[in-house]
Amino acid sequence: MNRGRLARYTVWQFRDFVVERGIAIVMIGLLLGYVLIEPLRRGLGTAFSTDATSPGRPVLIMVSSSIVSLAVLIAVNGIVSTDRKAGYYRFLFAKPVSPVAYYAQLFFVYMIGVLATMLVLSGLLHTVVPSFSIIHFLLYTAVVFVAMGGIGFFISVATRFDWLTLAAVWLGSRIMRDLYGGKPGLRGKLVQILPPVHKLNDMATDIIANGTAVASDVAWLMAYGAVFFVLGLLLLRYGPLAD
Amino acid sequence: MDRLSQTGHVHDASSIVIEFRNVGKTYRSLLGTSVKAVEEFSLQVPEGEILGIAGPNGAGKTTLIAMMLGYLRPTTGVIEINGVSPREYVQRNGIGYLSELVAINPKWRAETALIRYATLAGIPNSQVRSRVSEMIELLGLAEHRDKKVKALSKGNLQRLGLAQALLRDDPILVLDEPTHGLDPVWTQRFRDIVGQLRRPDRTILIASHNLDELQRLADRVAIIDHGGLQRVVSTGYEQSAPAVTRYRVTLAAPYDRIRESFRLAEDLGRGEYDVTVESVQELNRSLADLIGRGALLASVVPEHSVLEQQFREAVGDSQ
Repeated sequence: MNRGRLARYTVWQFRDFVVERGIAIVMIGLLLGYVLIEPLRRGLGTAFSTDATSPGRPVLIMVSSSIVSLAVLIAVNGIVSTDRKAGYYRFLFAKPVSPVAYYAQLFFVYMIGVLATMLVLSGLLHTVVPSFSIIHFLLYTAVVFVAMGGIGFFISVATRFDWLTLAAVWLGSRIMRDLYGGKPGLRGKLVQILPPVHKLNDMATDIIANGTAVASDVAWLMAYGAVFFVLGLLLLRYGPLAD
Repeated sequence: MDRLSQTGHVHDASSIVIEFRNVGKTYRSLLGTSVKAVEEFSLQVPEGEILGIAGPNGAGKTTLIAMMLGYLRPTTGVIEINGVSPREYVQRNGIGYLSELVAINPKWRAETALIRYATLAGIPNSQVRSRVSEMIELLGLAEHRDKKVKALSKGNLQRLGLAQALLRDDPILVLDEPTHGLDPVWTQRFRDIVGQLRRPDRTILIASHNLDELQRLADRVAIIDHGGLQRVVSTGYEQSAPAVTRYRVTLAAPYDRIRESFRLAEDLGRGEYDVTVESVQELNRSLADLIGRGALLASVVPEHSVLEQQFREAVGDSQ
């Protein structure tokens, strides 16, 4: 019964994604793509590709992977906290609906939404850079959504300031890894439990350009995000809905 | 203070729908300070009753309702609805709920907001549109159905909030300050609607500052202050209830012999008199005597209702 009515509500959740986030993601993606990629493409002509020998490849990978990170950040920003801050939860969860099921479904609907927006953007990019693989790009998007989105989801359940916190966690993890990553001692060990964001650069090149990746890295990234996603659901289940 | 007075009502255990047992809620800040919002609150609400909840600002009404809907967990004690925890009950059955602050996404349109809530409420697809139209008609929102929520006036937003609460035929309704922001016409209309909602198998809780409203709508009123239940007052006449002692008697024409029937009557002019009696029996005897002397009675109204008197006594002079 719960599943049936929630499944019917998917349409509204997807519509919210398109109106409130999807259009913004596509616009930002187009803007970044046009400003950063188009001049290079014009200058390099057919030499601009995802081939390892192409001088444009690093920029292409960097811009496209940044758009994915930005899209995920926009998608999960306020995914739970907005309803709590604005008080929308009161009417939503007076209905016979489980908040855990509602937000789990919302997470997956937004994942589909992000994949759809990336399909649009990569489709456009593919028309000007034929070697750019739409499938590889969507695979990379899915991995990043689970990894980064899972952490973002948890933060959105745990705090009202989720965008800021997620950005701080993401940036802080990179800085801490750079500072202490290879060093011996306790600090070196502690940074290992931080979100494995340092793996994203290599993975972006591997997946977007080649369609391959180190399986253990993919597993570690996705498991990290999945664990935090489940922790977020547990916090929803056992924590208060109201502040 | 006669805490936990149940006004002599004895409820069959099987008819109890909502039960609060020694419920307490303490908010703790990160700095270690704590505030007790609700303390040792116990109350049983039987099926079919309209229970009013009255109390001054900050008395704990909203916290109590948030716990009853499972949005907050009590720090101590237990709340049960039909024998299960509030969250479990709501997830299975839903509760028709109107919150004090009507929070609906301002970008949604009035009608689509109701369609969304109807979908979540589990109303079958084939009935969603007709049920939503019915509620729009009932709450007079027809000319606002296509407006965005942010474009609605406070009163219309309140009506939209009420419409979503009534979408499903829920056996439990919780209305927190339901007439807040409504104009006099819609306040009256709301009272009529609540009157129609009364059913032997439906329990309604109404939290309000408006004692007159609770006096008209509720069967009993729980008066709370400082997070505790001070007393429960029956709104119907009860022999055991303290008598109202002051009434305003209005005669069709000034009558200078009123003091022969009411010794302490005070002339307020234009045929109105303030009279003081010690019991309902004395009031009736004196009125009969007054009419017998040829006075033409227009109205008799208590200066303060039993509920108002009880409220004043329960919350003290702070209000």
